[in-house]
Amino acid sequence: MHFLAYILRQTGKNLRQTWGTQVMTLLTVTLSVLLFAFFFLIYTNMLRASTRLGNDVRLIVYLDQEVTAPMRPVLEKKIRGFAPVEKIVFVSRTEAFARLSAQLGKEKDILNDMGPDFLPPSIEVYPLKKLDDLTKINQFSDFLLTLPHAAKVQSGSDWLRRFGYFTNLLRAVVLLSGSLLIISMTFIVSYTLRLTVLSRQGELEILRLLGATSAYIRLPLLLEGMLQGFLGSSCGLAALYILYQWIARHFSGPGFLNLFDFAFFPPELTTAILLTSVLLCTGGSLFSIRRFIRV
Amino acid sequence: MPKDASTDKPLVELVNVTKIYPPDVVAVEDVSLRIYKGEILFLTGMSGAGKTTLIKLICRLETPTSGVIEVAGRDLSRISTAGIQRMRQKIGVAYQEFRLLDKQTVLQNIAMAMEVTYASTKDIQARVEELLALLNLSDKRDKLVGELSRGEQQRVALARAAANGPSLLLADEPTGNLDAAATELVVNLFRHLNEKNGSTIIVATHDESIYAETQHRVMALCNGKLSAHPNRAPRQIELFEA
Ligand SMILES: Nc1ncnc2c1ncn2[C@@H]1O[C@H](COP(=O)(O)OP(=O)(O)OP(=O)(O)O)[C@@H](O)[C@H]1O
Ligand SMILES: [Mg+2]
Repeated sequence: MHFLAYILRQTGKNLRQTWGTQVMTLLTVTLSVLLFAFFFLIYTNMLRASTRLGNDVRLIVYLDQEVTAPMRPVLEKKIRGFAPVEKIVFVSRTEAFARLSAQLGKEKDILNDMGPDFLPPSIEVYPLKKLDDLTKINQFSDFLLTLPHAAKVQSGSDWLRRFGYFTNLLRAVVLLSGSLLIISMTFIVSYTLRLTVLSRQGELEILRLLGATSAYIRLPLLLEGMLQGFLGSSCGLAALYILYQWIARHFSGPGFLNLFDFAFFPPELTTAILLTSVLLCTGGSLFSIRRFIRV
Repeated sequence: MPKDASTDKPLVELVNVTKIYPPDVVAVEDVSLRIYKGEILFLTGMSGAGKTTLIKLICRLETPTSGVIEVAGRDLSRISTAGIQRMRQKIGVAYQEFRLLDKQTVLQNIAMAMEVTYASTKDIQARVEELLALLNLSDKRDKLVGELSRGEQQRVALARAAANGPSLLLADEPTGNLDAAATELVVNLFRHLNEKNGSTIIVATHDESIYAETQHRVMALCNGKLSAHPNRAPRQIELFEA
């Protein structure tokens, strides 16, 4: 069976005949994959970070009066009655003061004038992990404010909300660059293929007369599209990986990136992006083949 | 093409075939014709008589306005695209206007016909050498077709048509640009294909020198109508079955 050899040889011939355009196409595919994957990488990392942050959520109820020991189980029961809670910690004035001075370490001298009573007592409520929905947290925090002697509830939900907005914005950017990717791949590849078809028009005409099968004529063109998709997205992903490595090297250590625990795509996702690009490019070439070749 | 054992089944059969080019050019009119396996048929006629049209109808480059054409027992109007492709691999056609690729070499042009059947490179090389030797073109193998003379191009077109050892060879004006010596080579190629390969051959020509002394059937087209050549009695089919 010399079938495969013929198909491969013809594909090579096609690529050589229009190599200038082929390189441009490859660059376009590479760039669109890079662009999309870049935003997508940031987006996935943000998502991971936000679930992680959601796990750390705690609500602090500041009180204007110390909770007495017999009252504690009563309050605890009341709170647990409203929402599932992982743990509840009662912090008295003295405990709060001790914590702060421990945090200040050497500089705890500045507290000398304050006296151990200046910090309010509080209840720290750690909601169960499934309570990571923002609206639920807000409802919870409203409820906590109705507790006796509650003066203020700090939930950190403001910060979470802003984070959420940003994630949404990023999602829009990802969708946009994704559409751009789809358009550029299918259009560019089908355009390039059209050039290949035109440059071989005379030859294709004669092949038809000689009884070349549809597979003989079409497969090399399909393969061309596939190859563009595979090479283009491989280059794009490789470029992104290099970029990622560079960023990780230069911004490693404690700080912003550490907070996010910035990571590259897992292998499955990389493969999925690769396969999608190959599919898109093959689709683009299929479009051209159906449009410009009647066999 | 299935080799038909029964002698009364023609390889090519035309029944009341008419071809009218739009709007109203009648190129072939009510032609009925049977061509049997192993036959050599000469189609003669003046310029514009419809020879090329008839050849194009047989290889389904054109479809008849009315009438039925069967090749190897299959109605060409009902054959699938894949069926046409398979059929064309077994029919060699040397076109009047050659239809070669000027920017490719002689070897590449001839090889194309064999490549579409996925022949091995070795077989292709050997076959091309053989055909070029038969047509006295061996030294032109790697020349670009566009740089050849008309007569040389004509022979390349014939070599391509003969490359696959076709069951049916259609040659349209195969000696139009050839001198006597080259014509002799072409006639020998036909004989070679017919005797060694059992190819059925249809030659459209107004070159009287190639059919003047032939034993084979000669038909004349005149304004699209087919008749036996005026100077010759129609041959008996039995002659070609040996
Ligand atoms: N594609 C076409 N469109 C319209 N008319 C055509 C077409 N092809 C051929 N004809 C007409 O059909 C008639 C027969 O043409 P054809 O080419 O079959 O003649 P021929 O016998 O091959 O002539 P020649 O010996 O010059 O090659 C001519 O009158 C020609 O003008
Ligand atoms: Mg003609």
